[in-house]
This record gives sequence, structure tokens and C-alpha cells, in this order.
Amino acid sequence: MATRRLTRKEQMQQAILYPVDWLEERSGLVGAVKYFLFRKVPGDTNWFQTLGSATLTAFIVQALTGTILAMYYKPDPNSAYDSIQHITNDIWAGWLVRGMHRWGASVFIILMFMHMGRVFLFGAYKYPRELNWIIGVLLLASGLGEGFTGYLLPWDQTAYWATVVGININGTAPFLGPFLAQFLQGGTYINADTLSRFYAIHMLMIPGAIAALIGLHLYLVIRLGVTSPPWSKEAAGTGPLDGETPNGKVGRAGLSRFRRGR
Amino acid sequence: MATDRIAERRRIFKQYKDDVESRGKPFYPFAMFHDTVMSLVVVVVITGLAIVWKYSTPGDHIGTDPGWLGKLYDDPADPGTFNFVPRPDWYFYFLFYLLRIFKWPDTVLLGTIGLPTVLLVLLIAVPFIDVRPERRLLRRPVAIVASILVVVSMGVLTYKGATAKESLGSELVAKVPDWAKTQGFSGNQQALGGAKLFAESGCLNCHTYLGLGGGFAGAPDLSAEGAKNKGIDFQIRHLENPAGVNPGSPMPSFQGLGTANLKKLATFLESSKGGK
Repeated sequence: MATRRLTRKEQMQQAILYPVDWLEERSGLVGAVKYFLFRKVPGDTNWFQTLGSATLTAFIVQALTGTILAMYYKPDPNSAYDSIQHITNDIWAGWLVRGMHRWGASVFIILMFMHMGRVFLFGAYKYPRELNWIIGVLLLASGLGEGFTGYLLPWDQTAYWATVVGININGTAPFLGPFLAQFLQGGTYINADTLSRFYAIHMLMIPGAIAALIGLHLYLVIRLGVTSPPWSKEAAGTGPLDGETPNGKVGRAGLSRFRRGR
Repeated sequence: MATDRIAERRRIFKQYKDDVESRGKPFYPFAMFHDTVMSLVVVVVITGLAIVWKYSTPGDHIGTDPGWLGKLYDDPADPGTFNFVPRPDWYFYFLFYLLRIFKWPDTVLLGTIGLPTVLLVLLIAVPFIDVRPERRLLRRPVAIVASILVVVSMGVLTYKGATAKESLGSELVAKVPDWAKTQGFSGNQQALGGAKLFAESGCLNCHTYLGLGGGFAGAPDLSAEGAKNKGIDFQIRHLENPAGVNPGSPMPSFQGLGTANLKKLATFLESSKGGK
């Protein structure tokens, strides 16, 4: 053929890029990641706006440590307490994983509240981001649900009695209360199935919902963009700055100012 | 007009998109750098807390002695012991304390379900209540006042919940002779036994009796329970299944104490006529 032989460097490049191109051709994922990474965000975003990704990090820590704990934890009233002791005292770094899960929960919840406070103070819940605010509230409620269901799992006195009272309080709600209490307990009283039920809710049901909601949350963040701090002089949404033409290039006015040395 | 407002906010958002396109910066590496640093801080803090939790525990770092961040675990769950203070994790303290403010039966529903539900609905409704495009804080006085009120009240309730003191069974048992004298059941062995059980079984975590006890979840004062003359049988039935006798009651069942003990408790309650 008439095509010239590829140089060694080009051959290397092709070899490296081949799987990337293969994936892109079949899924478009590479383009999506590129779009995610190189999408424009307002130039004045600041540290307060890292609270959301910090919350996501705390959730990932919970998911990873939770998975490891699930390998050793036994959701059965006869062995739950012993398995917690086993994790804490015998398993290599078990105390660390359990401690990270225990305290990661608090950090996760604090970060959710701080992130929500930031969004509120920035007025970032306003049009067209209302839906994302609602998803955030659902995430907060789900996070608190994780806190409630996870608290029973060590099956010690603190866990047991706090949950008895918690379920009874749920049970006092009008109309739905008794059904909710019965659903949580798996019966009319706390029984042997209550623990495995809480475990299933804690590690399958709510985390699944949280993961899905986080996906939606991020999709909307990327689609709608993050807001500028409201106090910023160059906040996105205020129109072109002095010396800019509407299409963003430095226009004649800007250039002339530049020439005058200002 | 509403249509003007809709047109106006669409215009602002279009302007936002244009401005970001023209003078924004790419997420990678600028914003991503901040996010990565913050995420690392989060992981370090969580790991640090786990290490402090373990290594501040006295002795060999195991067991039920509390360190700086509390016990690694408590005694095993025992549905038969009632001498235990039910305490949620700290981020529920504000709800926990709310339950001490409202009293059974009139307003307790407000504390347990009413207020939290109203707050949740309000929270979801925020973007529909505040529909102006204005984002600058100084021009949003209602938002400022609301956020200060929420932060202060959550803070105060959490603090009060954290510092709320419950008496231990052993301290309360010492009060039994006083109770017997005030209520005049000193000669009644059944009632005395019941009083001791009452002190030991955590009843005062929620109920109040002659000025002692928690007043939690709207649990009523029992100093003059006997004056209602409901009868020993009623008291036993109620202790076995509180919600069955008193629909909607959040009180747990005390069936685990056994019939003989429940009879003593019921006698004690029926002997409590409120004193002088």
C-alpha cells in the first residue's frame, strides 16, 4: 500500500489509544469523562463549594468500610455482639475499619448539613436547581435513616434500647405509624428477625437509594452547573465584565484600556 | 406578573451559561484540585477519629470502658434488663430533647411526628417559597433570620440532649424509703418490692415520680397514678402491652420482668396516691 510506515512512537501511541478508542466507539464513556473533566465552571468557585464532593468522599468511605464489615458481621441476635467483638479485637485492622465506619457516619452527616447550609446561603437552590435541592433533602433523610438503622447492629444495650424507643416513636405517627413500626420490626415486637431486617435496610435498601440519588444529584450538578458565590463581583450570570464583549473575547474597549496601561 | 418572572429567571440562567462559557475555567485541574484536597482531609479526619476512639480507651484498648470518644461497645443487648437509658447517636439529640419538651398525651405527637414532619416538608418547599432570583445574602433578610434560628435551635437542642442527665437505678433505689413514707405504703411488702423494681427498671428514664425522672417522650407523672384507681389488673395489662391498652403509646413492653414482678410494680403504682 501507499501508506507510509508508522514510526515507533506512533505505533506506541496507537497501541495505548486502541483500548480507549475501542471503549469510546462502543460506549461514548470516554467522551462523557472528558466532558465531565473539562466542562467549564465559574472562575470564582471557592473552597465552600468542595463540601459536596467531601460528602461524596465520606459516603464512599462508608461504602468501602461497610463492605469490609459485612464480610465479618453476623446479623443474628445470638452472634451479632460476638462478631462485633471479634472485628474490634481479633481481626487485623478490624478496629480501624469499624472505627472509620462508626465515625465516618458522623462526618457524613455533619458534611451533609454543612453542604446544605452552603447551598442555602449561596441561594443555589433557586431556579433551575429546585429539583436538585429536593434530591438533596431526600439524601439527608436517607442518611439519617442509615444512622438510625446502623445504630442497632452492634446489638449492645445502647443499640437495643435506643432502637426500641425509636421504633415506638415511629409507631405513634398517625395512620402510617403502626405499619412503619411493624415493617421495621418484622412483627409486632422486636424479635430475632428485626436485626437482620435492619441489616438489610441498612446495607442494601437505603445505600442503593442513596447511590441512585447521588447519581441524579451529580447529573443535575453537571447539567445545570455550579453557582458563583453571590458576593462575587464577577459572578456568572451578571453579564459581561467591563472590557468584555458579550461573546467573552476581550473587545476593543478592553484592548484600548490595556494600551493605556490601566 | 408570573410570566415576567419566569422570563426573567430564564434570561438570568441563560446569561449564567454564557458567562461560564466565556470566562469560566475548566473543572480539571482548578476545581478538582480543591475537591481532592478536601476529600483527603475528610479521609484523614475519619481515620484520626477511629484511631482516637481505640487508643484513648483505657487499659488494653478493648472492652466497655469509655475513652475520649465513648465506649467501643456496651454490654450485650438484654431485652430482660430495663435499667438502661435509651440514647440515640448524637445527631439525633435534637429530636431526643424535643421529646422532653412535649407532654403526653396532648402534645407529644407534635414532638415525635408533627414538628419533624413539618420541618421536612418546609425544607423540601424552600425553593418554592423563595422564588426570587436574588442570591445576595444581605438582600435576603428572611433567609438570614431563618438560618440563624435553625442553627441556634438545633445547637441548643443538641447541647441540651447531650447534657441531659438520667439518674442511675442504684441512686434511685436509695429513694424508696422516702417514697414509701410520702405515699404511705411503708408496711406493704409488695408495694416496696414494686418501688425497688420501679427504680431499677429504667421507668424514670421517661416518667417522673415525686419530682425525679426524665419526662421523656411525654411520659406522664406517676406520683398520683394510684389515685386514678385503675386497678392492679389494668396496671399489669398495661405493663405487658402498653400500646395495646393505650393506642399510640411509645412505651416498651415490660413483659420480660415476669408476672410476679409485674404484680409488685402494679401494687406499687396503685399505692401511689400522690402523698400529702
